[in-house]
Amino acid sequence: MVVAPALLVLTAPRPARAFGDVGAFDPRALVVSGAEGPAHPSAPSRWSWELIQRTSAPARAKPSSVRADDPHIVDGPFLFLSGTRPLPALSAAEIAGLRRYFALGGLLLVDDSAVDAGGQPSEFGKSARREIARVLPDQSPIPLGPEHVLFRTFYLLKRAEGRVAGPKTLEAIVRSGSAQVVFTNHDVTGALARGVTGAWELPVTPGGDVQRERAIRLAVNIAMYVLCSNYKDDQVHAPFLMRRRALSPRP
Amino acid sequence: MHSRLASSGDLPPWAAVLACVLALVSLGVLLALELRRRERGGPSIVATGVVAVAALVLAVLRPVRVAARESVVGAKVVVLVDGSRSMDLPGDDGPRHVARDRAAKEIAGLAKEARLVTMSFGDGAPRVVSDGAPIGSDARSDLAAALRALGTSAEERPRALVVISDGRLDEPSAEATEAALRALGETLRVPIHTVATTRRVLADASVRRVSTAGAAVAHVPLPLRVEIGCEGALACDSLTVTARELREDGPPAVLASGLAKVKDGRAVVDLSVTLDRAGTRIVEVAVTPPSGDELPDNDRRLLTLNVARERVRILHVAGRPTHDTRALRQWLKSNASADIVAFFILRTSSDNPNARQEDLSLIPFPVDELFTEHLPSFDAIVLQDFDAQPYGLERHLPAVARYVRSGGGLIMVGGPNSFVAGGYADTPLAGVLPVALDGTPGATAADVAPFVPSWTDDGRAAPLLEPLRSLAGEELPPMPGANVVGDVREGAIALWTHPQRKTKAGAPMPILAIGDQGDGRSVALAVDGGWLLEFSQLGARTGGRGHGALWDGLVGWLMRDPRFEPAQLELVGGCVADVPARLRVRVPPSGASPDAPLVVELRRLDDDSPPARVELKRPTGGGVAEAKLPPLAAGGYTARVRLGTGPTTRRDFACERGGDEWADSRPDAERLERLAGATRATFRWAGGDMRVPLPPPTVVSAERHVVPFAPSWVWTLAAAIALGVHWVARRRGGLS
Repeated sequence: MVVAPALLVLTAPRPARAFGDVGAFDPRALVVSGAEGPAHPSAPSRWSWELIQRTSAPARAKPSSVRADDPHIVDGPFLFLSGTRPLPALSAAEIAGLRRYFALGGLLLVDDSAVDAGGQPSEFGKSARREIARVLPDQSPIPLGPEHVLFRTFYLLKRAEGRVAGPKTLEAIVRSGSAQVVFTNHDVTGALARGVTGAWELPVTPGGDVQRERAIRLAVNIAMYVLCSNYKDDQVHAPFLMRRRALSPRP
Repeated sequence: MHSRLASSGDLPPWAAVLACVLALVSLGVLLALELRRRERGGPSIVATGVVAVAALVLAVLRPVRVAARESVVGAKVVVLVDGSRSMDLPGDDGPRHVARDRAAKEIAGLAKEARLVTMSFGDGAPRVVSDGAPIGSDARSDLAAALRALGTSAEERPRALVVISDGRLDEPSAEATEAALRALGETLRVPIHTVATTRRVLADASVRRVSTAGAAVAHVPLPLRVEIGCEGALACDSLTVTARELREDGPPAVLASGLAKVKDGRAVVDLSVTLDRAGTRIVEVAVTPPSGDELPDNDRRLLTLNVARERVRILHVAGRPTHDTRALRQWLKSNASADIVAFFILRTSSDNPNARQEDLSLIPFPVDELFTEHLPSFDAIVLQDFDAQPYGLERHLPAVARYVRSGGGLIMVGGPNSFVAGGYADTPLAGVLPVALDGTPGATAADVAPFVPSWTDDGRAAPLLEPLRSLAGEELPPMPGANVVGDVREGAIALWTHPQRKTKAGAPMPILAIGDQGDGRSVALAVDGGWLLEFSQLGARTGGRGHGALWDGLVGWLMRDPRFEPAQLELVGGCVADVPARLRVRVPPSGASPDAPLVVELRRLDDDSPPARVELKRPTGGGVAEAKLPPLAAGGYTARVRLGTGPTTRRDFACERGGDEWADSRPDAERLERLAGATRATFRWAGGDMRVPLPPPTVVSAERHVVPFAPSWVWTLAAAIALGVHWVARRRGGLS
């Protein structure tokens, strides 16, 4: 009785474990010279973990980072930039690197980790906007409300939330119909950060654990947007989602 | 040598006529008015007056004697005989062409003085018929085109036309007005005599005409208007009309049917058919004839419809969201000519989203609905890293395999849940993939070692990879691993292979393979790193366009886009049953195996007869080769050209015995009679009195000699003397 299942395991086609990891979600941290690294170094791996636990999407357990002037910046379609201190001016090589990345259709999440409780952008947030404006001078950010596909790529979200409640909307630079730079004034990665003991690194205000869960859901949705693009905008989903939105209680 | 009298050559004819008229008037005045006033000498006045007038006329005319060698040339008369297929139909006494040929011979016998040129008309300009030579059997009977061609010809124009036909003409049509028929005669400004060959109306039920409203587009209902005819005292109050698509993968598929209520020998039925596959498709429209039908060949028509695609409808099913899924989705969505229905598995049963169902945007994967009722509506299915087992696709795999064989497209994209790992080995779907799958227990599903795919010779020559090669050359990004697949199946080729890994047969393992599967096509891409053509160092150098170029080629080839076909096929001049047809094959200049034979395979669509093969010499450096097909029976056919062992290029076509010419078997003598009447000519029945009024011959003179009877001064002097004598006679008679 014990041997039979073991034999079955041996005779079944062996799954390809490592094969397929290259296409997995990789919350790559963007590193800019003169600036600190990611504000919450533990957040990317937690982000991957949450994605793997909650969805079918594969994710890198050990996320990578890349410098803005590194030729390998074009090796994946997602980057995130977070910080607490003002971002120094980008060098010409960094601007060129980011432009190459955006030209391929890559997405950058700018997460303001020093945002205040009211959701006002910190110096990091302001400087990041200024530097991105140098990279993409022709576009300016616009607000993204709950009608945007980012709020329904996996979870149905009514607003954006992170470590702080902040504004209800996200902001984004939209190019060719796709959000290419998403700005959050919520410190989403702050809500994901865990310390070495496994405990949450930062308190979430004002909503506590409930708000943290919603912040994690936003992070999952952002990852799904990276992997599925505007899949949930397809007409086939529309009647179903409209029905579900109508059923759910209004805030 | 003939000789005759004439007036002086420098005198215009009107002057001669005027002189004669004046002379007659003068004589009249003399006799009627002046003689009454005379006192005496009436006879002498008259005699001298007549002589004086005659002398004056001769002085004006100055007669000459003309001696010339003359010949009589008959007027050119063109006898236009109907050379269309309808002349093969039964007439009064055997086929109609017997009466036609006999009538032409009789006219030639009667018109001895005319120069007769016999020509046959049918499709386009008329052709001269040599004595005893057989007259062709054209698919049309366009008299108007023949007349126009004669009118614009540089050759001598005819002075009369004789048309011998059954009257069932394409042009002028039965609805042509009197003015239109008259205009036809004015093309040449000659009378058009007509001869009708037959009075006999066959007992015949037929599909007279099938007209479509607009072009045929895949998945879009196409209205068909079917005109049914029933003549010859057949019992046909109501007849069943059916439209069926002739398919290579099985029996004809009924598309629509209707009941025709026949009134006055005619009925019209409106049908609506929907064709799911694009390309040339053969649709049979048939009527169930009543007993006694004398002509069964026109009970059905075979339409060759060129079915276009408004948009390519693609079902994209992905087993999990990855960068590869994203890249493919973005390319599909950016393709304006593609209509995408996508389903991605975002959550499996082992995932815990930590949320209530109503907080999720997930919808159930409608596997049964998609792979049953909606399956035929898709032009292609993309299964990307999708495991068949957990989502209930397994039970639909036979239907998917049938869908591919009946003309659908399938692309299986690699990943940890694809090919062998997805449970597709030993399933019906494996039978329509271009690569074999190892279904033995313990079979290796994937090779996780990174590698760079190698181009095969077939890959280098494949038009579908040309866009990618022109962007990136032969450089490909390193792949993180590959699904383990077997050898390419019959009729398939590998375009990329694994540089190290071999199949059981010892061949390099295919990475990208394409192949024909019945009426459809399939592609196997055994990696999930296609997106690296977009996001990589190579992607950055090519502006990320390599991924789109690859998929443009793959989907385009799957949809038989002519740009990506290995060869082009064209039927020259249509196909008539039992008559050899010609098929033109255009092959590209380069090829993986330039010495490989060029084989045209011909298969009948509406029965199971074995395919015929025609082997051709491949033109050096590419170009055109022509295959002479054996005489084919009436029916639908598919011709495939195969270069070496790879996939084929196909073209469907239909062979009909009578075509449009037999669709309406009734003769139309009335039309011929109207044509003759409109051009002030004569109508005759073949076998009756065949005399028609033809223009007289022309006299042609040669070696002309002109000799005056007397010099001009002699005529003038004689006239002066005669006038003088007359004046004296008048004076004596008391006239002034």
